[in-house]
Amino acid sequence: MSVFRPNWQALMSLLASLYSLTALPFTESMSAASSLTVVAILLAGALVSMLQLSFAVQTAVLTLSSFGAAALLIAGLTDAFGTATAGYFAALIAAWLLGWRLVTVLSGDGSRGSEGRGSTLIVPALFGIWVVILWECIVRGAGVPFVLLPPPSAIGLRITTSTSILAADFKQTVLKAVLFGYVVGSLTGFLVAILADRFRFLASGLLPIGNMVSALPMIGIAPIMVIWFGFDWQSKAAVVIVMTFFPMLVNTLAGLTATSEMERDLMRTYGATHWQVLLKLRLQAAMPFIFNALKINSTLALIGAIVAEFFGTPIVGMGFRISTEVGRMNLDMVWAEIAMAAIVGSLFYGALALLERAVTFWHPSYRR
Amino acid sequence: MKKTLGLTLALTMTLMAGAASAADKVTLQLKWVAQAQFAGYFVAKEKGFYDEAGLDVEIKPGGPDIAPEQVIAGGGADVIVDWMGGALAAREKGVGLVNIAQPYKKAGMQLVCPADGPVQTEEDFKGHTLGVWFYGNEYPFFAWMNKLGLSTEGGEDGVTVLKQSFDVQPLIQKQADCISVMTYNEYWQLIDAGYKAEDLIVFNYSAMGNDLLEDGLYAMEDDLADPAFAEKMVKFVEASMKGWEYAIANPEEAAGIVMDNGGQDENHQVRMMGEVAKLIDTPDAKLIPEAYERTAKALLDQGIITKEPEGAWTSDITDKM
Repeated sequence: MSVFRPNWQALMSLLASLYSLTALPFTESMSAASSLTVVAILLAGALVSMLQLSFAVQTAVLTLSSFGAAALLIAGLTDAFGTATAGYFAALIAAWLLGWRLVTVLSGDGSRGSEGRGSTLIVPALFGIWVVILWECIVRGAGVPFVLLPPPSAIGLRITTSTSILAADFKQTVLKAVLFGYVVGSLTGFLVAILADRFRFLASGLLPIGNMVSALPMIGIAPIMVIWFGFDWQSKAAVVIVMTFFPMLVNTLAGLTATSEMERDLMRTYGATHWQVLLKLRLQAAMPFIFNALKINSTLALIGAIVAEFFGTPIVGMGFRISTEVGRMNLDMVWAEIAMAAIVGSLFYGALALLERAVTFWHPSYRR
Repeated sequence: MKKTLGLTLALTMTLMAGAASAADKVTLQLKWVAQAQFAGYFVAKEKGFYDEAGLDVEIKPGGPDIAPEQVIAGGGADVIVDWMGGALAAREKGVGLVNIAQPYKKAGMQLVCPADGPVQTEEDFKGHTLGVWFYGNEYPFFAWMNKLGLSTEGGEDGVTVLKQSFDVQPLIQKQADCISVMTYNEYWQLIDAGYKAEDLIVFNYSAMGNDLLEDGLYAMEDDLADPAFAEKMVKFVEASMKGWEYAIANPEEAAGIVMDNGGQDENHQVRMMGEVAKLIDTPDAKLIPEAYERTAKALLDQGIITKEPEGAWTSDITDKM
């Protein structure tokens, strides 16, 4: 029994593949032989993975069997939209369970040292890949109408064929509205916070207004900005400025009070002026707060610009495309824009996080 | 406790009501918010024309972010009010919409420009900004620009297109040189805003022969294959046209009924009813094949659809009325 180490994912996978034998062939365009090939791969993968093997062999077997079966299953959907049988989905579940097992093996037993450094990237990547595989197979296999949810392959195709449209939208929304609005909004928020910190009456007057503005619905501001600044990117940048100004103001003000009495006393004994204390001590201590605001603003700016483009706009831009292509039933284009927005947002956020590490290296949370 | 009791009571009442009248349920999705543009349907419901036909009709108003094609594809409606352009585009995308009746004979869309502005004739469009609605309402405009041979990418030799909000602000604020209006709705908003009829140069799509069919009734092809459903649609269209006849004959009352169903500004609704009556012409709901051909050709010419649509309309329903 020591040679054979059963685990629940592989056992369930075995059961599912055996069940899938009851409904051959899997789709209209798949022959019984190719359906059987899938089942054979799955059975072999499940059985071999339960043997006492080295880590490398085990991962190789699981990778090959789970992805090999998935590739054949996706290929079997060609010209067979919505014709998948119960057996098809059973085989899909079996392949997915082997993928799950692979992740479990890669993560080790959870103790340190049992996992390689790579697994911090590989495991989430594998999860993402499987989400896409399941999405593709379920949508095309079960025949979900294109206008409700297009398969990822169609979205990928649209991204590759419409690069010029996506590039124009990116330029209009991100490079003009978002960047300008983000920089101006965050910078003015920061400068006003410095002033409000020096002159208390400013702070006591501005903060209540700030809280009120942050509660304003964006959908209410956007049309007004179109009336004030015209329909081009300037009005979208104005919305972004309104949205990013106050988080920066509030966070910076909070950050400037983060120093302790002891540290400020020390500066006073050195005979430091207000501005010297600000530059050498209090701004340094406020950095985590300021970066917090910058990170919040990066997502707010993108959302703000896209939603602002739902209103009067020239016929270019991510928000314009999303809102109009839905009406034209080009859901693949909508998803392509959403994918672009997600990538842009993640890169933006990630770059800020890296910068934060470099600036606030002294902070306890980064101690190793 | 009281609340649950009330709920139970309400539930039993509805159940009993359902048992008492075994009316056929029909859900109608409108293309826009409740206004006199759809008066016929509201009148048919309020005046009991649907009840007489043994139908229990639910009317769902639309809005700026509601695409009727998507609602029906998702199973949220049995029949929708839609423009032919959007319906044919959706049909090509796999939503099997079929036109079963065409209450509106003419289109109400027009482009208006201030008389003291730079645009006087079609030749003046070059290099100017024109406002258009999207969300399925852009097809007639792009078909027209295509016919004039103008690029819609902006620049000196083309026109700059502005995605217009659903009001007349862009013209009042001079953000656009011309804007799109409906004869029965936004045109009157301009008049209310202080423009006089002689201050406006009007390009009417119907008058220019550039009109694409507007408010028609569309159902799904698969549903229509079921004789019981087709029968239900015959009753529905017939009762709806009775409603339209009544609304045209009694515009004031029709406007009142629209107000009861969530319409805004009674005066505006009465005016709208008068304009809509002109577009409906004779309330027989019959589609004019020439108008359909023109619509399909315009959409084909500008690449909105890629192949000649097949079976996109049927006269079966209106023939049985």
